[in-house]
Amino acid sequence: MSALRRLQAMLRSGRLDRDLDDEIAAHLAMQEDEFRARGMSPREARDAARREFGGVTRTAEIYRERRGVPWLENAARDLRYAWRGLRQNKAFTAAAIVSLALGVGANTAIFTLVRALMLRSLPVSHPEELVTLYRTGAWGRGYGSYPWYLEVAKRSDLFQGVIARSSVEKVRLAGERTETVQQELISGNYFRVLGIARAIGRLIGEDDNRTPHAHPVAVLSYDYWQRRYGGDPGVVGKTVTANDQPLTVIGVAARGFRGVEVDRQPDLWAPVMMRDGPIFEAGAHWAWVVARRRPGVSRQQIQAAMDVLLKQYLNTVYGSNPVAAFRSIAMKQQIEVRDGGIGLSGLRERFGTSLEVLLAAVALVLLASCANVANLVLARGAARRKEISLRVSLGATRGRLVAQALFESLLLAAAGAVAGVTLAYWGTRQLVAFLPEPFEVEPDVTVLAFTAAITVLAGLLFGLGPALHASRVDAAEGLRFGTGASPRSGMRRALVVAQVAFSVVLVALAGLFGHSMSRLRSVAVGFRADAVIGFSLEFPDKWKVAERTGPRDRLIAALEAAPGVSAVSYGFPGPFLHGSSQATIRVIGAGNEPAASNSGEDWVNLQLAGPRFLTTIGAALRQGRDVEPMDTAKSQRVAVVNQAFLRRYLPNEPRPLDRQLAVGTDTIAIVGVVEDIAHQGIRTEPKPTVYIPAVQSDGTWEPSIVVRGAVAPEALIATIRREGGQLPPQITVTEPRPIRREIEESLLQDRLLATVGAFFGVVALALAAVGLYGVVAYGAARRSREMGIRVALGAARASVVWMVVRDALVLVVAGLVLGLPASYAAARQVASLLFGLKAGDAASFAVTAGALLAAGVAAALLPARRASRVDPAAVLRAE
Amino acid sequence: MVLRTLQTMGPQHGFGLAKRIEQISSGALSLNQGTLYPALLRLEQRGWIAGAWGVSESNRRAKFYELTRAGRKQIEREAAGWARTVEIMSRFLEEAE
Repeated sequence: MSALRRLQAMLRSGRLDRDLDDEIAAHLAMQEDEFRARGMSPREARDAARREFGGVTRTAEIYRERRGVPWLENAARDLRYAWRGLRQNKAFTAAAIVSLALGVGANTAIFTLVRALMLRSLPVSHPEELVTLYRTGAWGRGYGSYPWYLEVAKRSDLFQGVIARSSVEKVRLAGERTETVQQELISGNYFRVLGIARAIGRLIGEDDNRTPHAHPVAVLSYDYWQRRYGGDPGVVGKTVTANDQPLTVIGVAARGFRGVEVDRQPDLWAPVMMRDGPIFEAGAHWAWVVARRRPGVSRQQIQAAMDVLLKQYLNTVYGSNPVAAFRSIAMKQQIEVRDGGIGLSGLRERFGTSLEVLLAAVALVLLASCANVANLVLARGAARRKEISLRVSLGATRGRLVAQALFESLLLAAAGAVAGVTLAYWGTRQLVAFLPEPFEVEPDVTVLAFTAAITVLAGLLFGLGPALHASRVDAAEGLRFGTGASPRSGMRRALVVAQVAFSVVLVALAGLFGHSMSRLRSVAVGFRADAVIGFSLEFPDKWKVAERTGPRDRLIAALEAAPGVSAVSYGFPGPFLHGSSQATIRVIGAGNEPAASNSGEDWVNLQLAGPRFLTTIGAALRQGRDVEPMDTAKSQRVAVVNQAFLRRYLPNEPRPLDRQLAVGTDTIAIVGVVEDIAHQGIRTEPKPTVYIPAVQSDGTWEPSIVVRGAVAPEALIATIRREGGQLPPQITVTEPRPIRREIEESLLQDRLLATVGAFFGVVALALAAVGLYGVVAYGAARRSREMGIRVALGAARASVVWMVVRDALVLVVAGLVLGLPASYAAARQVASLLFGLKAGDAASFAVTAGALLAAGVAAALLPARRASRVDPAAVLRAE
Repeated sequence: MVLRTLQTMGPQHGFGLAKRIEQISSGALSLNQGTLYPALLRLEQRGWIAGAWGVSESNRRAKFYELTRAGRKQIEREAAGWARTVEIMSRFLEEAE
């Protein structure tokens, strides 16, 4: 009961205080009356009454303490005091909050992304038991073939269950209105091994995955079921037609399960046996293997076992292949056993390292901003020495002083965190916009908890040191000197040096990424990507060559006739990052020269080209001609080669157009030389490439069609869509995209690093400059007397200015000494992300040092100017 | 003591209580008057007395305290407790004789 009253009393303490005063006053008055009645004088009566009462103040204090909850009241009072103090010093408060917001905000934003991509476990049972088998080597990365999966699935000694799945892909769903949904093909044990229950109906099981094309069933995802069917249980038994294949819906998966791919979520699952295309072919790579390991079996054991198994498997499949070069490429494949609990993510593959780098960078930003705020707090502490000394002499304990100082720090940290979280929301959205497939990132409880934790950490980091330092004040000295001399500003200087060191690392990283980016941009792509739109046609597997060429040529003719189109052509593979096709060739010797050939380990890129393919994409022909309409299936076999090819196989050949190649059984004349085109992306050196007229080759393939136009890309895309819609419905027209956009996208990671790096670099530089200014200005003020004396004794004003600037430079150099080696170490960690640079790129480091020195000079400008104007007489008088 | 005083005297203000206690104990207890107020606070927090502002005989504004029902019960409890203590002690002392 009394506890409740105490809490109540806390809230009304003001009024209760007044009541007590009144009560005591009344008591004293009545006692006075009594004494006066006995004959004392008014003054004597008053004094006697007071004596009779005892200590008024003491009584009131005991009363108050008993009345409320003391520590809570003290804390409330300290908090109010801290709040007032911060409001009065707006500049300090603003600077501190901005610094903290940057550090906390950046940290939270990056952490949100990292968590979403890299740390979140799949909502399956026991995600820690899952592993994925990631295949590297030829023919794509990550996925393998179905026969390989079957081999792995035999190893029940290692695994409780092994799943095969395709990647999540778009399929066309027929209906009153065609819609595109995401589909994942799965082995029969998928749901069982992952431990996913059903919502309604039943799920795909082992019996639904035995015979190819014999199990037309599908399971919907919970989200899709809600979205499209409104949660109607009658969906079970309905038929959906995916890419012209009717499937019967047999059930819906449990709520909350969204597949195993982080970046993409399937709307429906179908058995692997329903795959449209080869299933059991060893050369068809499309199956991702996810397995649940047996408890007690470690990942190292699995890795070792898989290495052996893969060797055996590759031997069985490729060991007897007659082509040596092919065989050696096949045998070089590897399997990496990776943690499966965090799901599969293409984005993580591409951006994982960069995000880790950014996380480390923002940790540095946080440290730098904490150092900055600590410096500000220290400066404020120095300014309040007099006030603190007064409090010490009035009986404040060191503990109370530290507590009060910490309150101020925590208030700042809280305000900084609030501002930081706002910044984080905005920042996360900006970052996600960078990614090629923006996905939903919701800030969740973990992230907020993380932010709270680093806030408290930050508050303690920058608050504790200065708090302890400030409370160690000698009261008498403080009262005497006030805001003047402080015996040691060593701590502040050390903090600034640390801050400069952090900034050096950040600026160096920014410089490296920026330099790398500029190198990337200066790489010649080899063709004029602007105004070119690319797309592909996909035909049903069964269609023969004749069935494919007809519609393709009709489409091209239609596009050529459309307004705004300058040129149309086609090729295989596509011009930029569409994979590559390889072949072995022989260069036929001229006269008696020995023939050069690459039947060893080398492969030459083989590109099929429609008429004027190279000119359509804007590549420059150095010699001879492009593939032309006159090159038909019956005319002479010709080819165009690129300059890399010449350098490798025909160096010093004055007339390459006179030479011939042998590809397979054909003799091919070289009719043109084209400049190197970066088909495999900007980072890869162009390989020797041979362009052969498409009509002169066999085989079925997906033509990649390129359209050059004089109008805006959107208009071209609309034209393509319109004409593509005229094609028979079995032909899929992929999304037309400007090639320029493909190029930009391939540089996304680098752009991300360069942009964010630059941002952090600038922030770090600004923080360093502010910190330097504070310390240098303080130092200059402290030595103003010395400077006055020097000037009075005849020193040039310039020498006094130099004193100030030198102070700043000394701090910067100290920071560089610490920071540059650290930067180099950091650079080596990120070397794999750089292009055309070594970790010890002299240019970047030189620029970094220069930038910091410039910041130091800039910071010293104002104090230096004040120093140059020092009036010796005034200074000496103020002694 | 405060409770008993209030019981006999009826509602009183702090000064009156102090004087009365001094009087009854015939000056044997001379505490500083100020110590009364924290004690009054504790009794009020426990709900045994209730305070209200009023006007004193000398036309001053003063806070008057009154015994509550819980307070009356408390007096009985404490009186009984004291009596028992006295009884036990006297038995010991008698024995010792």
